[in-house]
Amino acid sequence: MKIEDYILSIATVVLLAACTPSLPEQAEETGRMAQVMPDNNGATLPPNIAPLNFEVLEEGKTFVTRLSTRSGEEWIGGGRTVCIDLEDWQRLLTAAVGDTLWTDIYVRQNKAWKHFQRMANPVVADSIDPYITYRLIRPSYVTYEELTLVERSTQDFDERIIYDNMQASKGNKGQCINCHVPQGQGQSGRSQFHARQAYGGTVLIDGEHAHKVNLKTDSTLSAGVYPAWHPTLNLIAYSVNETGQVFHTLDPQKIEVIDYASDLILYDPERNEVTSIERTAHDFESFPTWSPDGKTLYYISAHHEPQGEDIDADLDQNYQSLHYNIYARDFDVATHKFGARRLIFDAEALGKSASTPRISPDGRWLLCSVADYGQFHIWHRSADLCLIRIDDGQWTMDNDLNSDESDSYHCWSSNGRWIIFSSRRMDGNYTRLYLSYFDTSGHAHTPLLLPQRHPSHYQQLLRSFNAAEWMTQPVAASRQTLVDCIHQTAQPAKYAGSALLSAEDEGSAAPIRISKQNYHNIYENE
Amino acid sequence: MKYRLPFTLLFIVIVMVVMMAVVRPYLIETAQLTPFFTTRVFFSEMLGRGGLGVIYYAASFLQSCFAVPWLGASLLVALLVAIAYATRWALRLPNPAFGLCWIIPFYLLVRFTRMGYQIYVCKEVAVAFTYPILILSAIMLVGALLRIIIRRKLCPQGWKRTFLSLSIIAFAGSAYWFWEQTYRDANFLSSLQMKQACEKGEWEQVLRIARSNRQEPTRLQVNLTRLALYETGEMGNQLFAFPDGAAAYNAPEQQQWLRLMGAQLLYYNYGKLGFAYRWAMEDLVEYGERPMYLRTLHRVALLNGETSLAEKYDQALRHTLFYKEDADDIQREAEAIRPLLNYTDQLDGDNGLVEFYLLQSFALTEGGSRQMVELSLMFSLITKQLDGFWPRFMALLPEWGSNIPRHYQEAALMIAQLQGGMDTSQLPISPEVRQRFERLVEASAQMGDSASNAHSLRPEFGDTYWYYYFFVEGLKTT
Repeated sequence: MKIEDYILSIATVVLLAACTPSLPEQAEETGRMAQVMPDNNGATLPPNIAPLNFEVLEEGKTFVTRLSTRSGEEWIGGGRTVCIDLEDWQRLLTAAVGDTLWTDIYVRQNKAWKHFQRMANPVVADSIDPYITYRLIRPSYVTYEELTLVERSTQDFDERIIYDNMQASKGNKGQCINCHVPQGQGQSGRSQFHARQAYGGTVLIDGEHAHKVNLKTDSTLSAGVYPAWHPTLNLIAYSVNETGQVFHTLDPQKIEVIDYASDLILYDPERNEVTSIERTAHDFESFPTWSPDGKTLYYISAHHEPQGEDIDADLDQNYQSLHYNIYARDFDVATHKFGARRLIFDAEALGKSASTPRISPDGRWLLCSVADYGQFHIWHRSADLCLIRIDDGQWTMDNDLNSDESDSYHCWSSNGRWIIFSSRRMDGNYTRLYLSYFDTSGHAHTPLLLPQRHPSHYQQLLRSFNAAEWMTQPVAASRQTLVDCIHQTAQPAKYAGSALLSAEDEGSAAPIRISKQNYHNIYENE
Repeated sequence: MKYRLPFTLLFIVIVMVVMMAVVRPYLIETAQLTPFFTTRVFFSEMLGRGGLGVIYYAASFLQSCFAVPWLGASLLVALLVAIAYATRWALRLPNPAFGLCWIIPFYLLVRFTRMGYQIYVCKEVAVAFTYPILILSAIMLVGALLRIIIRRKLCPQGWKRTFLSLSIIAFAGSAYWFWEQTYRDANFLSSLQMKQACEKGEWEQVLRIARSNRQEPTRLQVNLTRLALYETGEMGNQLFAFPDGAAAYNAPEQQQWLRLMGAQLLYYNYGKLGFAYRWAMEDLVEYGERPMYLRTLHRVALLNGETSLAEKYDQALRHTLFYKEDADDIQREAEAIRPLLNYTDQLDGDNGLVEFYLLQSFALTEGGSRQMVELSLMFSLITKQLDGFWPRFMALLPEWGSNIPRHYQEAALMIAQLQGGMDTSQLPISPEVRQRFERLVEASAQMGDSASNAHSLRPEFGDTYWYYYFFVEGLKTT
């Protein structure tokens, strides 16, 4: 090393030392919490979450923030924007496990320092899964343009695009993509997503490989829509839906996504066969999900007797009368047959409507979203998460998860201790992801907003985070593999009859909308 | 400089005159269709578009400056002048050949100025500036290479006059081609002026532009005029005096232009907030975060009482260069719209047929505020659905007193004559209108078929509801 290099190094160290902020010796107590963005005060933290960077919104010229633990670990930073180095953050979290991470904010206003009430975040030992996947989408209606399926590391801020629809086709040959859903939390390497319109089909990913199938058959309403991978077998239950969008003229909820018909199917990828689980004309079944042992399939269903011949006009008028309950059917893993349907949660009796049931990995809890009506709760401000104890049916919506805005799509982590869910609580329109600790006594703790590298990210981003799923490992298939797969012809699935143990009434094999050519099913492949 | 300066000055003058005197509204519109935000997220998204990310960012910045037309035009001209000079430098052209260097700048200019209606559906990033920046970079690169390879000027002795002649021909030809290719459709430019005046709430200005229009208007112009008449309270007096044209848009895909250019503005001002928001969001999804859409989203959110959402859009607009919202303007605008929100929400869809939806929606509305009842009255007259005329007319009569707007007087006389059951002698209808109606009845009785009547009665009665009812056939809505 030359002498110049030594001088430069020493100068840098001196300069850095001079710039390192120090805590003020005296500060007046404000007696209130500082306004920060995002505000995660009180949220329970996992030991392996990315740094909770934030911005101080208080008036002031100089800012100092101290993060500390009872064991004496400490981090001090200056500036309105608090961005914590990953290494420092991990050191703090590790020291705070089983205890609390404290945040003290000092702001210099009019030559005097003020200290705000200390923020406290409990830190637990139960970790979160290292990845999540979601679809990044504008809160859109009919049109679509750039859509990406994204894999995000929860331990830092790394993001990877799994699939980008603009890579496959553009312009008039545009393509819509639906959410990425793994088997379990991605442990098996299997996952799937749908593409609609150009190069439509369902992409089934298995490790590094992928192939595309067309799940629409002459005997089913549509291609597969909302999927549920069997936890152990290579089987997927899907809803098949005739879905339309209708717009509010004045209500700020803006849109209703209505199923004018829906059924359930079971898809066997190895045989490329589709069988019917539910095929009733006046019951609308949707959002299937499996119990962790794979022996029960849960789903929602609403009964509707049409008031006229035109089901679209009927439901556009009476959409608030659609109340979905949660039902279940036993599944024989040997024969792949389903037993009789039984009611699990009678939301209708409460004047409510349930959607998106998901069972905790220990099989004890069912978490669903509940709103005043319908099933597409992301657009319903009344939507709250409802926790149901499976063994006795006790339920509660009085938990720390919910807000005044839509709280909906959720997913359990592989250890069952963390829930990730969608909420529009920030502004009522853009969906953000929240993580909540679920303790062994069945209590969901104050959630934290999925941290971003820059605190103003959510404020500036005009896109929603859609249908997040936990992942224990990254998606192995490369983006190019998926693009190549999309360009392949979809292999048509065969219909193989009923998957029920005993025959039941059937009815909605044919679409029941009277003049289907006039209506657009948003889940059509082509 | 003997050759360079004249060409340069001529180029600047020609382009600036066309930009400022002819296509000025197009520049303003281009700016509000150009996303540019001083945010980290926008910068990242631009970089995420690949190798040209920085150029896209710079081009978006420059293009958004068209909001101040002289500034944006000057920046574009400066860039194009730089391209001409860079071309000369790169090719080591002699001064007399400098006129040849303007072919590329004129071509790049035309790429932008010939778009017309297509600017609304253009998905290229900052179409006016991206290519010029790219071409300038490419010329500089090629020039640097050429200067390494070729070390002498490309100027054969004795060719000076030939080069000069070629220069003049190339420059003049390019300039003429630029003028010819620039989209100067009168209805398009007039529509833009009307739309921009509507956006600023300058309703009288909208009517002035409509009156000065010399050709048959498009439905967009008709609708903007109708909105301005409503806003100025003159709908009942003047609506049928304006031409009810349906000129074709000078662009392919006729059905989409009213929707793309007018849906948000019309729905918002007529209080159909859900649809205004919907189309702003649909277009934002399709064409990007254009300030024009964000403004609608912001204002609808405010009227909806969605404070946090409005704040989000306001923040986005604050990060643009020229579209920071003025709270007083918005408040004034909101006060005018609130009376139109006195209706029960319903689920509906317009299938992109904006005018048809608005006409039917109001024509079928019952009750509501005074403003809504008047819109119901007028739109039912436009759609010639006369059954609900008297209840609406009577509901508004106390407020009108003896000053019933002229078209409603005309309609009252005509409907009483057609349907009977109403004694109009007690209504405060002006003698002038009564006499005119009698003349119409007499004239109609003397004449022949409908077509000849339409032709001969137009000079005297063309500005009346009677003429519209009897002789304007077919409801035009696209």
